[in-house]
Amino acid sequence: MKPLVFEQKYQNEWHELDGLLAALSASRSWRRRRPVTAAGARLATLYRRACEQLATARARAYPAYMISRLEQLTQDAHQAIYRTDDFGLRRFATLMFADFPRAVRAHARSVWLAAACLYLPAIIMGLLVFRNPEWILSVVNVEQVAEFEAMYSTAADSIGRTRDADTDWMMFGYYVWHNTSLAFQCYAGGIFVGLLSVFALAYNGIFIGAIAGYLSQRGLGSTFWSFVATHSAFELTAIVLAGGAGMRLGYSLLAPGRRSRLQSLVHAARASVDVIYGVAFMLLIAAAIEAFWSSAPWLPHAVKYSVAAGCWVAVLTWLWRGGREHAS
Amino acid sequence: MLSNTTLDTTIPVETPEGIQIDLRPAGFVARGLAYGVDLLVRIGLLYVVALVTALFGGGGVGVFLILYFLLEWFYPVLFELSAHAATPGKRVLGLRVIMDNGLPITPAASMIRNLLRTADFLPFMYTAGVLSILLRRDFKRLGDLAAATLVVYVAEAPTKVEFSNLEPEAPSIKLALRDQAAVIAFAARLPRMTAERAHELAALAAPLSGGADVSGPVATARLTSIAHWLLGHGAGGKAQ
Repeated sequence: MKPLVFEQKYQNEWHELDGLLAALSASRSWRRRRPVTAAGARLATLYRRACEQLATARARAYPAYMISRLEQLTQDAHQAIYRTDDFGLRRFATLMFADFPRAVRAHARSVWLAAACLYLPAIIMGLLVFRNPEWILSVVNVEQVAEFEAMYSTAADSIGRTRDADTDWMMFGYYVWHNTSLAFQCYAGGIFVGLLSVFALAYNGIFIGAIAGYLSQRGLGSTFWSFVATHSAFELTAIVLAGGAGMRLGYSLLAPGRRSRLQSLVHAARASVDVIYGVAFMLLIAAAIEAFWSSAPWLPHAVKYSVAAGCWVAVLTWLWRGGREHAS
Repeated sequence: MLSNTTLDTTIPVETPEGIQIDLRPAGFVARGLAYGVDLLVRIGLLYVVALVTALFGGGGVGVFLILYFLLEWFYPVLFELSAHAATPGKRVLGLRVIMDNGLPITPAASMIRNLLRTADFLPFMYTAGVLSILLRRDFKRLGDLAAATLVVYVAEAPTKVEFSNLEPEAPSIKLALRDQAAVIAFAARLPRMTAERAHELAALAAPLSGGADVSGPVATARLTSIAHWLLGHGAGGKAQ
């Protein structure tokens, strides 16, 4: 069959497929979302026929423009038919209350390891600085020490911030930006066989421990601990989870099992993304608590510690029990 | 189809229907330029945001920091999940992001590839990402590797073969499919060549065009007429 005869014979089908695809993408556009009305069966039939025709056209070495036309057509149809829509507000609740805790528990070992990488250096450094306060200078310089002391002094009109930071909203923005970036770095660093996750966790552990130990030793402990107790339930846990997800990426490269290293990495990354969604959500909560609740000096410490205990119990229960009843 | 996978950078992907789709991954220069454009867009947006939020004091600074955070981490995600699957910079350069099996990018993949941008940045100035792009045949950076995504060129609309009013002419010898395709491709590319180059090429197909025996324009015209006939124009349109 000559190319032109072939084209004449089938171009009505190609036009029809074009039309169906256009209708489909129009129904997907943001501005006017309406149910997809394209005839699914007809679309599938036309797509399969176009695939056949493309194979024929290639085998018979038909002109390039005709093959490109068919390639374009089949490619668009392929995308429309096999597209996966795995997002939406409806999925958000399932994600947060079932998939996220499940994804965390599925890799409990890397999470425990990440927790050790953060908390062990923090505790060791905290005790060291508590006994030798001058060791704080190995982590921060003198001006920063003075700044921290001012932030947590009992005279401050709001706790945990420098004098020029004047509103809760400003600090909320700062916490969202700073803490979430930090957690994402703990995650991304894992691609270098987990080393940078370990480094980021340990580095932050040492920093936190040093500050906590120093302030406790200076007698500012009650302000400091009542400030950090509540939001740390979300913040530190989120950073541990991000670091754990990063370590999982690293482990997938070190021990790929029966997959190639690349396949193993892709697999691990796909599994870890649920954790990252959860981490981002937790850090948002942490930032809100830190900016509006933790910093309020007029709240009695007893209230703050009670709420903090409630938050820790809630977070750990969420991660431990969430999504179990759905498991089948 | 003429296979040129040895020279070209296209990546073949097979669909469940058994046809092959060729993806054209974009290399370092195109992606670097796209990144530059995006950087300018982001700085511009940030500047506007800063101007507006500066009016609102401390609360404004908070809003600025949140928007800065969103721009830094989620600017690419937002655009990659839109209909064009490309950030403004990539659109300018004619690129888009897809899964490496040819399907549209999923939200999870977009999140992964953009969060891992941090890893690509290390140790400084995207060294890891650039090395990965330069070393790999499919030009993936670390984020693309983990997310199984690919940055490809958006396919251009193919140009149709147009003929001036030439009479179709049957070739003097029977042509193999490959040779037929070559003759037709010659006719399709004619508008984009200089006349001299066309004559040179036509002379190479000596058995068909007459070669050195006829002058350049005649050889070109004859070869084009044969292409015309091969496509199925005119009375000689029966199957060969």
